[in-house]
Amino acid sequence: MATAADDPFETLYARGVTDGLPVVPPTRERVAAAVAAAGRPGDALVALVPPNFGRATVEKVAVNAVMAGCRPEYLPVVLAGVEAMCDDAFDLHGVSATTNSAAPLFIVNGPVRIRLEMNAGAGVFGPGHRANATIGRALRLIVRNIGGAAAGGVTMSTMAHPGYFTYCIAENEEESPWPPLSVQEGFAAGQSAVTAFAAYAPQVVYDHQSHRGEDLLVTVSHSIAVMSHHKSTHHGDTLLVISPEHARLLAKDGWDPDRMREFLWTRLRKPVRDLIPGVDGGEGLPAHVLAKFADPATHGTLIAKVREAANLKFVVAGGTAGRFTAVVAGWTFPKMSRMVTKPIHDGA
Amino acid sequence: MAEEFLDPTDSVAVPRRTASRPASLEGKVITLLDISKAKGDHLLDRIEELLRERHHPKAIHRRKKPTFARPAPEDLRALILKETEVLVEGLAD
Repeated sequence: MATAADDPFETLYARGVTDGLPVVPPTRERVAAAVAAAGRPGDALVALVPPNFGRATVEKVAVNAVMAGCRPEYLPVVLAGVEAMCDDAFDLHGVSATTNSAAPLFIVNGPVRIRLEMNAGAGVFGPGHRANATIGRALRLIVRNIGGAAAGGVTMSTMAHPGYFTYCIAENEEESPWPPLSVQEGFAAGQSAVTAFAAYAPQVVYDHQSHRGEDLLVTVSHSIAVMSHHKSTHHGDTLLVISPEHARLLAKDGWDPDRMREFLWTRLRKPVRDLIPGVDGGEGLPAHVLAKFADPATHGTLIAKVREAANLKFVVAGGTAGRFTAVVAGWTFPKMSRMVTKPIHDGA
Repeated sequence: MAEEFLDPTDSVAVPRRTASRPASLEGKVITLLDISKAKGDHLLDRIEELLRERHHPKAIHRRKKPTFARPAPEDLRALILKETEVLVEGLAD
């Protein structure tokens, strides 16, 4: 029977530097190979990692990547992921500390997906693909070990979700009728990039019967409408992960991301009178918003579920069989986390 | 074997020890920090009343973070450090 004294897995768990699953021991040799593949010196500072603003040097990132099981060639993606989640706009401090349940979801675009054999197809949020599994895990270990966010300490999430272990997908660009997310976010086609999004667990919407794109969007809108709860409003960035079959149906009817976000944003508004606290559920508009209306119970002013149409983001991913779309709510309060995309410098 | 592994942490990520607690609040300068969560002010109003009634502090300062979602701005942290012996922070709703 291995003890903490002679078993590297027990030793590392006892140090409190793991996610509870066994990690690959970060030997000097393994870390050196990872640093060599990073394309930057080991002592170069990549970012300060909230909530404690620990210094993520290339070497510290490499140690965590090794522990997560990354191959050395994954390092450029991990480094870009660190830059994305540590960007001020992402507010990793709030994401890590909140009682809500949002973890950084990483979405990879561009040729690096192919080179690293990342999964963009069947079971895209699931296990079985080393790059997805270990890049996402490395970034979680970095938040814990460099940022200092451990559950029950600074991290106060009441529920969390399985994506707190690892949460990394690639876009199925080959099956998408639209420009990839990174291009929608302003990067050149063919540029590998990673996007960080403060994400709840995916809520998978099933629609096998819609034969028109508009009907499908209506189905999906009803699931977006219950994010957080049926009367919550003013959500920020919100992600739809659309399966290839759904994407084809939508594209066939002329829908593209701009048209979809305008349609959904408009449809998702609700009148003040349907958002009253204590009617059809205790939740509802906060007092400072209700105070703007003389008689909220009858008022018809429309309040947006999602603050701006631009907050609705679209990715095509998942297997080629099956008519499903995942609604992924973001950490949402006003002026909080924004989706952030960074280029991947992988020397290719 | 253990010493062969490189350290994945940064020193600031290690849990820090909290400051020593004063034996009494009498004559102390106390800051009540509202982090801008809903109804945090209700809680802190009541705490202020009870502190004044029971502990006779020298002064109570009320300060507020612009948003609970981000760390307190550097100048606010510096101000609190400079003027305060005891800090009470109103967390969550």
